[in-house]
Amino acid sequence: MRWHKRLLAAGAVAVVALTSACGGGKVRGTEDSPQPGTSQSAADATFVYVPNLDVVTDWDPASSYSNEIIAMENVYESLTRYNPQTKKAEPRLATSWTSTPDGKQWTFTLRPGVTFHTGKPLDAAAAKASIERTMKVGQGAAYIWGAVDKIEAKDATTLVFTLKYPTALDLVASAGYASYIYDTTAATGDLAKWFNEGHDAGSGPYTIDSWQKGQETELTLKKFDGYWGGWSGAHYSKISYRVTPELTTAWQLLQRGEVSFVQRLNSQLFAQAAGTANVQTSQTPSFQNLLALFNTESGPLKDVKLRQAVQKAIDYDGLVAALKGAGVQASGLVPDGLLGFTPGQAPKQDLPGAEALLKEAGYGPGGKPLDLTLTYAQGDSDQEVLVTLLTSALDKLNVKLTAKPLQWTTQWDQGKSKDTSKRQDIFIMYWYPDYADAYSWFVNVFRSADPISFNLSYMKNDGIDKEIDKLPELTAIDKAGAEAAYADLQSKIIGQEAAVAVPYVQNYQRAFSKSVQGYVDNPAYPNVVFVYDLKPGA
Amino acid sequence: MLRYLTRRLGQAVLVVAGVVILTFVIMRLVPGDPAVAYAGPRASPAELAAARARFGLDDSLPVQLWSYVRDLLGGDWGTSLHTRRPVRDDLFQAFPASLELVGAALVVAIVVGIPLGIAAARYKGKLPDLSIRISSMLAVSVPVFWLALALQTLFASGLGWFPVAGEYDANLDTTSPLHVYTNITAVDALFTGNWPILLSTLAHLVLPALVIAAYPAGVIAQMTRAALIEESSRDHARLERALGFGETAVLTRFALRPALNPVLSLIALVFAYSIVNGFLVEAVFNWPGLGRYAADSIRSLDTPSIAGVTLLVAILYVVANLAVDLVQGVIDPRVRSR
Repeated sequence: MRWHKRLLAAGAVAVVALTSACGGGKVRGTEDSPQPGTSQSAADATFVYVPNLDVVTDWDPASSYSNEIIAMENVYESLTRYNPQTKKAEPRLATSWTSTPDGKQWTFTLRPGVTFHTGKPLDAAAAKASIERTMKVGQGAAYIWGAVDKIEAKDATTLVFTLKYPTALDLVASAGYASYIYDTTAATGDLAKWFNEGHDAGSGPYTIDSWQKGQETELTLKKFDGYWGGWSGAHYSKISYRVTPELTTAWQLLQRGEVSFVQRLNSQLFAQAAGTANVQTSQTPSFQNLLALFNTESGPLKDVKLRQAVQKAIDYDGLVAALKGAGVQASGLVPDGLLGFTPGQAPKQDLPGAEALLKEAGYGPGGKPLDLTLTYAQGDSDQEVLVTLLTSALDKLNVKLTAKPLQWTTQWDQGKSKDTSKRQDIFIMYWYPDYADAYSWFVNVFRSADPISFNLSYMKNDGIDKEIDKLPELTAIDKAGAEAAYADLQSKIIGQEAAVAVPYVQNYQRAFSKSVQGYVDNPAYPNVVFVYDLKPGA
Repeated sequence: MLRYLTRRLGQAVLVVAGVVILTFVIMRLVPGDPAVAYAGPRASPAELAAARARFGLDDSLPVQLWSYVRDLLGGDWGTSLHTRRPVRDDLFQAFPASLELVGAALVVAIVVGIPLGIAAARYKGKLPDLSIRISSMLAVSVPVFWLALALQTLFASGLGWFPVAGEYDANLDTTSPLHVYTNITAVDALFTGNWPILLSTLAHLVLPALVIAAYPAGVIAQMTRAALIEESSRDHARLERALGFGETAVLTRFALRPALNPVLSLIALVFAYSIVNGFLVEAVFNWPGLGRYAADSIRSLDTPSIAGVTLLVAILYVVANLAVDLVQGVIDPRVRSR
């Protein structure tokens, strides 16, 4: 047995040595934590958010373009914030703004007396510096500032933008990414490196308390005492992000009262949550819709009649019913809450209509058999429901649909293939705007593009391109004109060209503790909870 | 012995080299562009080009393989596409948590498995033996994911006896911050006298450790039983019985020591297996170990991270096998000559 003892001892030493090399005597927890054993004074004012994925990929407010938005929006602020009820941008760091009649010059008046978490004042010069750095870095969603030609800080509170072409800059400034105003002088060396070590230089109500990548509680934010909004009244003083990939586990934590808010549950658990005493739920249509893009350039769907037939074959009502609240009927290409939404356009399944169109093209029951290929996101159960219903409906029409679930990169690569024979007939994907402007769908998905990026219907229509190019100017200076242009474009793209079908708009289904008061989902900022606006209850 | 040791080490290095090459080939065979996974689904062509240049994806495959091997030898396991941190740093953070969980599970498995094996051997063919064999068969065959959900629902969510998920109560980071030396929370808490975190970690360990312990406990019980029955039928056991020792004494005082040799070998192999077997358990109990890291990596098609996890697990298997071979070589000189 001596050998066993030696082996065990050697193993124990090896393990300790190996892991010691990984650790190094760091303190896990908050920097200004009380001494061990003391009690937590404001434990009841901690808002515990449960995301399904890791929170932070990139801390740099210039290039951040991922899940960290759920924390960044509580740490950083933009000039404006979008309100989906009014469909307008509202004051945030800017208290008011004006634009010239041609929409090419915008003047923002900044809120006085705002300081960054670094202690430095947030004035027009600082705002100019931060937007200019974001544009210079040029990563993530920095392209949103593409219209900006020049920024001037006229005085401490006046920021003037001169644009290359008219754009609704108040909407751009409300974006969830790349619109943050931050202190560019926060670090003496490499600012991006400093940010990604877990520092922040924002002006929002909360600041980073601790960040432990890979830990269950990945991130904790604490209140910023110098916040311009003040801390009178009831507010959460801390936010904790507890990463929980398993939905059942997230639900059990909420049920037990260990967490405040669960970002996502499946439909079964969501239904259970709705009937649980200490839990409340919210269901809000998002700005993300599912698109079935038809190949207008090659293959059988080059024939517009066949595209229209597939549009009519989709069981829109059945799909929404099967999603059990995870989706809502779409009406046009633009989701409700955005300028350009066209009510009363919800599509319906029309199998006789589809059959007639197929017959006109020589297909359908009794005609030639038609084979179609479709690609969709692997592992997405909602898309699987669509595929199942569509396969079944088309089968009755003598159309065989071959559906391939693929990882996004593979699906996208295949869709972009230069060899048109390798492309699919139907491409299923979600789309959402980077800021609250419907222009995103039209310029990215339906404007002619070479090489192909997201125009995966391969539509090339000069008339539609010209109309799309007019949208930013109309949105900036003529809202009614923009509404009309969006309606016309949707009629052409969905109706005449039949380049796309919109099966549904995704719903956000949240479950949260009864003690959380004042929660409103804002689809312009996906999954974000603006915790400062909430009141902790009993 | 030196020749044997050199030969086995050489074989282990060859196996690891094979895994490295295989891992690289699989990484490149996986459909999809790693640059897209890194730069994001809406990356511009310029951002994609920059990502390709950064990871050398435009180089020929042999050049990429050489760079990969050279970097590995230099301690660079690549950069994770989803955490954007060095894979080695990520693994060094995640692995100790898995080690803590699997270590606790193995302690449970040994403490439960060996006595059960002894009891089964002692009452061979009788009711205790039958029930232990059925229980160990169940423990080995029940899916860990199901067992994890069942225990969590019953003992954590239902009865409230144990925490639902996590490694320890996160509030303790504020009230009792932990000084981290080994990254194994229970060990650090013990050595630094951080009793609140130690107690919380132990409470959080119970359910996931029990789930992971099920398989090794079953296997150990079965192996202990079989080895004891074989050992107790040898000549020395007959002599011990003739000298008046009872059956329990024959088993525990004389047969157990030699019977534990194969059990020890088994434990080393089961350790590496349990690390992987624990991946699903970590997902259910939200344990911040290799399993969660691997799941996140697979979800985001993060090939460098997937390769890192694969390589680490392969190294664990090789080291465990090597340790077993060496121990057997020392214990039984005949092994060295094979």
